[in-house]
Amino acid sequence: MLELTGLSKSYDGFAFGPVDLAVGAEVLSVLGPSGSGKTTLLSLIAGIVRPDAGSVSLDGRRLDGRPVEARGTGLVFQDGALFPHLTARENVGYAATGPDRVEELAALLEIEDVLDRRPPDLSGGERQRVALARTLAADPDALLLDEPLSSLDAPIRRRLRRELRTLFESLDVPVVYVTHDQRTATALGDRLAVFRDGTVEQVGSPSAVLERPETRFVAEFTGNRNLFEATVAERSGDATTVRFGERSLRTDGTATPGSAVTVCIHPSRVRLRTPGEAPDGGTTDERPDEGAPGEPPGEATTGEAPEATAGTTLPGTVADWLNEGADYRVRVDLDGAPATLTATVQPPAFERLGIGSGTPVRAEVPPAAVHLIPHESGN
Amino acid sequence: MFPRRSRADAVVGRPDWLSVSYLLGAALLCYYVVPLVSLVVGQPPGAVLRRLTAPEVVSAASTSLTASAASAAVATLFGLPLAYWLARAEGRAETLVTALVVLPLVLPPVVSGMVLLTVVGPETLLGRLAAAGGVPLTRSLVGIVLAQTFVASPFVVVTAKAAFEGVDRHLEHASRSLGESRLATFRRVTLPLAWPGIIAGITLAFARAIGEFGATIMLAYYPRTMPVQIWVSFTTLGLENAFPVAVVLVGIAVATLVVLETLGRNPLE
Repeated sequence: MLELTGLSKSYDGFAFGPVDLAVGAEVLSVLGPSGSGKTTLLSLIAGIVRPDAGSVSLDGRRLDGRPVEARGTGLVFQDGALFPHLTARENVGYAATGPDRVEELAALLEIEDVLDRRPPDLSGGERQRVALARTLAADPDALLLDEPLSSLDAPIRRRLRRELRTLFESLDVPVVYVTHDQRTATALGDRLAVFRDGTVEQVGSPSAVLERPETRFVAEFTGNRNLFEATVAERSGDATTVRFGERSLRTDGTATPGSAVTVCIHPSRVRLRTPGEAPDGGTTDERPDEGAPGEPPGEATTGEAPEATAGTTLPGTVADWLNEGADYRVRVDLDGAPATLTATVQPPAFERLGIGSGTPVRAEVPPAAVHLIPHESGN
Repeated sequence: MFPRRSRADAVVGRPDWLSVSYLLGAALLCYYVVPLVSLVVGQPPGAVLRRLTAPEVVSAASTSLTASAASAAVATLFGLPLAYWLARAEGRAETLVTALVVLPLVLPPVVSGMVLLTVVGPETLLGRLAAAGGVPLTRSLVGIVLAQTFVASPFVVVTAKAAFEGVDRHLEHASRSLGESRLATFRRVTLPLAWPGIIAGITLAFARAIGEFGATIMLAYYPRTMPVQIWVSFTTLGLENAFPVAVVLVGIAVATLVVLETLGRNPLE
């Protein structure tokens, strides 16, 4: 267990903390823009930077005042920080705890073939594997990673991401994984901490942080552009209606009627239809890509949902769209509301809808996808 | 959309000024080499050989080599810690200390000698104590080393500082996070990586020491180093007699530079 209590540090023009975090034998992804204090967090845990106040303890031992080498915190740098005058084998063996560790880890990380090369002759992916093996060889009590994948090409990054997930599951030490890439953060983290201006903005499971951001900043930084200012109109039972412009939206979130809220809708939860199409389970097959990764599981049930909990349908016109590789990001200007709604659309649906600029569409938003951020914490 | 005019076309036919400027570098190189060659060629080999075996030349050569090696060693021993501290320190203290280190480089060597005499001269407290203890600080090998170290050691500090600065701090942090102490990290990571630069600094310091004249003659007219011997030959017997000794000095200097350069190629291997 890695515990941070009231950890803070000020520099010229930047203040970190106070930060309280506890990381068990799990992966905590730390997500934040550059300058949000992610690297400072790792430096404070590793002892490279001394805190102004607060405490770090690992497995019950207080690390405060201990030098870097006596903390048991293994650090993997963004560039790998391999020793350039040593071969990959010598790097991994640099602080190996046993004679067989090098071979074991080389096999685990698939670097046996490159062990006799020097760092300049390694590819980016190989370098990160060697760096990780070197850190693991010293048997750290906690593993800290500072954006180790950020400098890699996309295919290698995806592959290593998957391998890291498997590797982390086999470790039973706290892992803190810093990144500014939301996909990496959610793919690797058991929990996700979003940093902003040196403090923790929100901690929770990746899906909770992504779909129920507590602040506007978290929503925006995790890639959600569907944020609308609205007023809570009425509340009956567990259903709430909010109004923005001439439109109203049903949600199963709770809020006091009359209060101002920020409505947050994750783009992957929005379904687009052509005006003629029947809603929910009509004649056309709505789900040609059933079971595709990234498809929210809740959506499959909306087809059979009774009228009372049915989603809201918002008419609009396609403003523009962007091919993002795996899916399309379509922006829809809503009728009767000064708002543009973004929806992610899978390629088959995109083709079926015949989307282009000016295409009239209807956007369906299930109540569970409408998340409300109260204004007190929304700034 | 917009009418485009390629910038590439305008470049065609222009003279390549970088290539032309290489000629300036070549001219400077000739300026170094031509006088040396003319010195060596101008001396009959017989005369050089005769002077080479003359007792005062042999004695001066061995004094110079011993003293310069000792000065380079002292400069390295005391200079590397200072260089490392300067490389890792920040702020006004670092700027001030760097300025102090460079000071001996900008002082005229004779002035350096005068400055040193005020501290280690025969009439000073330190000078008297040392002489009483059997280690005279002037007119002795120790005096030569003191003079040479003062003038030559900044080369070690300044060059090694740059070499240490070239070692990424991430590498040191990585080593320490792997459990290695600061000293072990210095020995296993920082020193091997900075080694070529350190060797360059030691080479410069040695070269400066072996050619040192101004400060040395103030502290130790005896025992004579090569530059002092050349000066003495020149003033007592004329330029013709000084030339062969100068050729010997050039030979020794070139030989040592070659040796040190070879060392620098294979860092600690």
